[in-house]
Amino acid sequence: MKKRLAGFLFILGMMFPLSVFSAVPLETVKAHVNRVFEVLRDPALKGETANKAKRGKIRSISEEMFDYTELSKRSLGQNWDKLNPDQQKEFIRLFKSLLEDTYADKVTSYTDERVIFKKEISLSEKTVEVQTTVVTKTSEVPINYRVIEKNGEWKVYDVVIEGVSLISNYRSQFMEILANKTPEALLETLRKKVGKGPTR
Amino acid sequence: MNRMPSVILLLLLLSLFLLILNQTVAIAASIEPYDSPAREEERTSRLLSPITETDPIENEQPPLVVVQQKGSGKEDPAQEIPDEQKGFNAEEKEEEAVLMADPLRPWNKAMFLFNDKLYFWVLKPVTLGYTYIAPEPLRMILNNFFDNLRAPGRFVNNLLQLKMKAAGNEFVRFVFNSTAGLGGLADAAKDLLHIQKSPADFGQTLGYYGIGHGFYLVWPMIGPSSPRDTVGYIGDRILYPLSFLSFTEISFGVSSVIFVIETVNETSFQIGDYEAFKEAAIDPYVSLRDAYFQNRKKAMEK
Repeated sequence: MKKRLAGFLFILGMMFPLSVFSAVPLETVKAHVNRVFEVLRDPALKGETANKAKRGKIRSISEEMFDYTELSKRSLGQNWDKLNPDQQKEFIRLFKSLLEDTYADKVTSYTDERVIFKKEISLSEKTVEVQTTVVTKTSEVPINYRVIEKNGEWKVYDVVIEGVSLISNYRSQFMEILANKTPEALLETLRKKVGKGPTR
Repeated sequence: MNRMPSVILLLLLLSLFLLILNQTVAIAASIEPYDSPAREEERTSRLLSPITETDPIENEQPPLVVVQQKGSGKEDPAQEIPDEQKGFNAEEKEEEAVLMADPLRPWNKAMFLFNDKLYFWVLKPVTLGYTYIAPEPLRMILNNFFDNLRAPGRFVNNLLQLKMKAAGNEFVRFVFNSTAGLGGLADAAKDLLHIQKSPADFGQTLGYYGIGHGFYLVWPMIGPSSPRDTVGYIGDRILYPLSFLSFTEISFGVSSVIFVIETVNETSFQIGDYEAFKEAAIDPYVSLRDAYFQNRKKAMEK
């Protein structure tokens, strides 16, 4: 009797670590990326005409995958406070549009790349970096997703491609622009950029 | 071949010059030049000056050095800092913007524009034509061939950076790919032995020994660089076997043609990358500068 109980508890104990290391952030990102690949590989969505539908679907997936508020705040950094609440809202809207278009464009040009999900490392209490490698024909590109936990959900707030952090890169651009121009001028630049629409 | 010693001497002199230049520019720009991880601690502890507010209407001249204000100014005890913001500031220190002096901005900007036109008017059309004629398997084989030629350079630089395992890997890769891989046409070491490439270049090696970038420098055709990475590039080309030959047996014309084929072949796998990058950027010039230094920093940390 005791042996059986011990055995049962042992198995129970073995299961516990498994649930702790279920790698929720990694699984979350993986699920989103897989959905995007599904859209890309969908035979019903091939060809030029289906492009719009394809991009629409990818946009809605990226909406769930990314935390655009966090992305926007971190890309502006210290300059976030230079914008009033209305400007901040508009900035998030415009920046989101820019990123979604860019992401959709880039991703729809993929042909036979593979994504390998490697591991996740903890950055801080609420943030984790999910490390992946995208295998192309001639190279292996390390792409890391930094996710933050909010309301029990893990969302992406930064993408690091070959060591280049997206929000760092935009931060340096915005810093330079806002050193010379007003926030309103920045918004105008963004409006024009986003208004151009997809070029492909 | 008897030119080699003098070239190596030249490289050493250039490195010394760089070291001096580095310090001079640092004093002139009042900012610590970006350099090796060993000096990272020093740099992060320095107080950085806030961004100078320039008159938005009259003065269109962008600042020479863009400096980010650290979160330290925000610790007002009277203010309630919400949890989110706290985490945000802490991580900002971790993700601090890679600061880089850009004293030659007019030149750099001009070169950037030149390279941009060069890509769209020359390199891209030629590459697209090439892609039309040359089937992908052939281009892949050529890619392997050229990449194998860069292995001696990777080997030497890994050695200089005391990365023994990586150096060993590159040695094995070079020998195996040149023999079993039929003169480097196939990356047999990766496919059969599962030994991956260990990238290392001379610019990285210089950084390892504490030589900082100095400042941003854009060259026509080669693209973004810095004084340190330029010396690095020269060093790499010297270790490139085809350069050996061009000193002796092959004429300048032939080696130029090989260089063009190498460049076009490599570009054939990268069409669309630059376009996508430009589309994503709000200021492509700044974006490229920042991306270049972030990428170089990451390469050093490996």
